[in-house]
Amino acid sequence: MKKSGFYRNAGTFLLFGGPSLLAFAAVVVVPFLVGLYLTFTNWDVRTADHSVVGFANYLHVFKDHVFLEQLWFTLKYVFFTVLIANAAAFFVALGLTRGGKGEKWLRTGFFTPNLIGGIVLGYLWQTLFSQVLPYLGNKYGWPLFEKSWLTDTNTAFWALIIATAWQLVGYLMMIYIAGFSGVPQDVLEASAIDGAGRFAVIRRIVLPLSVPAIVICVFISLSRSFLTYDINLALTKGGPFNSTELATYHIVQKAFLSDQYGIGQAEAVVLFAVVAIIALTQSYLLKKLEVES
Amino acid sequence: MKKWKGIALAVCLTLILGTLAACSKGNSSSQESPSAEPSQQAQQTGQASQAPQSDKPVKISFFNTSAEVNQVFEDLFKTYHELNPNVTIELIPTPIGGAQLEKFQSLLASGNPATIANLDAGTILQYKDKFLDLESDKAKYEQLTKPGAVDAALLDGKFLGIPWTAQGYGLLYNKRVVEEAIGGAFDPASVKTRDDLEALFKKIEAAGKAPVMIHGADWSLGAHYLGLAYSLQTNSVEENRKFVEDLKNGKVSLLDNAPFMGLMDTFDLLKKYNARKNDPLVADYNKDSADFAKGNAAFYFMGDWTWAVVGTLEGRDQDFGVIPVPISNNPDDFGNSQIAYSEPKLFAIDNSGSSPEQQAAAKAFLEWLVTSEQGQDAIVSKMGLSMPYKEVKAKGSNVISDSVAQFVDQGKSINIAVINYLPQDYWAKTGASMQKYLVDKIDRKGLAEEVENYWKSNAGK
Repeated sequence: MKKSGFYRNAGTFLLFGGPSLLAFAAVVVVPFLVGLYLTFTNWDVRTADHSVVGFANYLHVFKDHVFLEQLWFTLKYVFFTVLIANAAAFFVALGLTRGGKGEKWLRTGFFTPNLIGGIVLGYLWQTLFSQVLPYLGNKYGWPLFEKSWLTDTNTAFWALIIATAWQLVGYLMMIYIAGFSGVPQDVLEASAIDGAGRFAVIRRIVLPLSVPAIVICVFISLSRSFLTYDINLALTKGGPFNSTELATYHIVQKAFLSDQYGIGQAEAVVLFAVVAIIALTQSYLLKKLEVES
Repeated sequence: MKKWKGIALAVCLTLILGTLAACSKGNSSSQESPSAEPSQQAQQTGQASQAPQSDKPVKISFFNTSAEVNQVFEDLFKTYHELNPNVTIELIPTPIGGAQLEKFQSLLASGNPATIANLDAGTILQYKDKFLDLESDKAKYEQLTKPGAVDAALLDGKFLGIPWTAQGYGLLYNKRVVEEAIGGAFDPASVKTRDDLEALFKKIEAAGKAPVMIHGADWSLGAHYLGLAYSLQTNSVEENRKFVEDLKNGKVSLLDNAPFMGLMDTFDLLKKYNARKNDPLVADYNKDSADFAKGNAAFYFMGDWTWAVVGTLEGRDQDFGVIPVPISNNPDDFGNSQIAYSEPKLFAIDNSGSSPEQQAAAKAFLEWLVTSEQGQDAIVSKMGLSMPYKEVKAKGSNVISDSVAQFVDQGKSINIAVINYLPQDYWAKTGASMQKYLVDKIDRKGLAEEVENYWKSNAGK
């Protein structure tokens, strides 16, 4: 009797969970495991060679100072993107939850960039940075914009951050808005009666109570900016002289352009480890800040 | 109640197993064909292509890396389908300048390759085991093409890809601008040396025009400009391959290499008179081409393919031509009167996952494409390319490729086939070094060092 109950449960589970489990296995688990296996081989699609080489690929990754430099570049990029995108989204969300006129339209407006694909968005900003702004800069003599931002490593770095943050802001804003609407009205009223100013309300009440939203937003922006590829491809193409290649871009180049699949895949695993460690640590640390109202 | 649950469970399992089975079926069928003996397969298709086509419907796919002309190919496929209703051709498009090779590799790795692939010769060489040896058709194509065209398409001595387009590059000139600057007719043959070029640049600058445009993209600088250094060593592809081998083994010092130094001296000259001097790396291809075509720069380091942009432009000048990039002050040096010329794209037929029927249909289609009136018209007039074939009735409007053809017909061409044997990433890596040199981030010594280091890192590959 007990046994048939087990089967019955398994059947129900498979009915509902089966299809999605299958999809998850097919597009995530299996490729991940195969990928992990490939890092121990010198796989080459041209010769279909699969011989196992042990940890040689990983050794190569840690000796490759170009990849390490690009990983550092990526870390800097992620840090500033997360910071800027979250700060901007937080204040935009604050501004758009005050009940002002046309708020819905503005929310839609801020969210729109998120609906544009990264490639299109990259080309859009590319035109802006390399054509429109230098044109205006030369016309009105703004030294900041006289040259294209994309032809210098430092300015191209900021161009990447601005474009990515611009796209992320709308999405994060929605989460923050949802977070703010979860702040109970009675607490806000009580604080108003106690004479708290607008700034004090934000700092002492809204901020602590929207920590869950912040945790989610930081996590999303972290993982998304670590895995940025499309904007990098369309905006700078790794240029000038391959100095703005983010880690993902470098991996694709390594595997598909330089035909070093094993090493490229090993770099991808290293990147995965870095992203996992950073994302988990930050959500663990931030979660500690959560309070109950 | 229990019965229903049981049925539900059974249905679920069938569904799941069904999907699994569907997956595995797809795999096995695609693996079946490559396991068939390839040599035998090739022979069969060799015969099949002579025989009249069977009425069995055949579906073939066409992988295209000439992304700018996807639409033209698609129209051709429709035309061909109307003429041969049993053959359906499906286009696998790739984005312009985007992840083309990645897509090709993933198709190959998933055991689902395209029947026909329009690829760079170098890519075909890299995957030479995957493609059909067209030895049996070689004689036929030697008859059809201009002398030397098939030879230039050979990869390691094998005929794996059918040539269909030829391109040349050098210093393009805008005739009106040059003639206005020198105040008379311009004879392209008058520029034989670097000093000649500099004198001309000075006149153009004095006339208030930008003398030359350098397109700052890595492919232009790395593959086309620096690529000349490998091709200019000698006029033998084999010798030039040996030179690259020597580079890999660290036996060559570029700073002591005359063609490299000469080429870079000329680059310094171009750099000095560059229209994009203020911000050389912007590299907007459409804008650079348009500015040249409208007369904002007299010369442009580019090839006849830029007609795809220039040809349809409004308010452009009419007359353009090409001159070689002079690399020394001795008019007789190799390269000073020759134009770099190659067959960059070849049609190759897959031999790793296609059935003999598909291969036969592919051969028949390709022959139709390069010999029929519709095919030639599409390639020459619509794509604006020149064909290395003897009997091309269609007349194109591309005056730049006409100018290139004049050099080629006189035998004044540089065979740049050595680039087919270079690693796939050479243009991106050395192009980045050239970009650094262009913006004075490194000097000549630094450039030579970076390029040498790149080649050394490829030793033994």
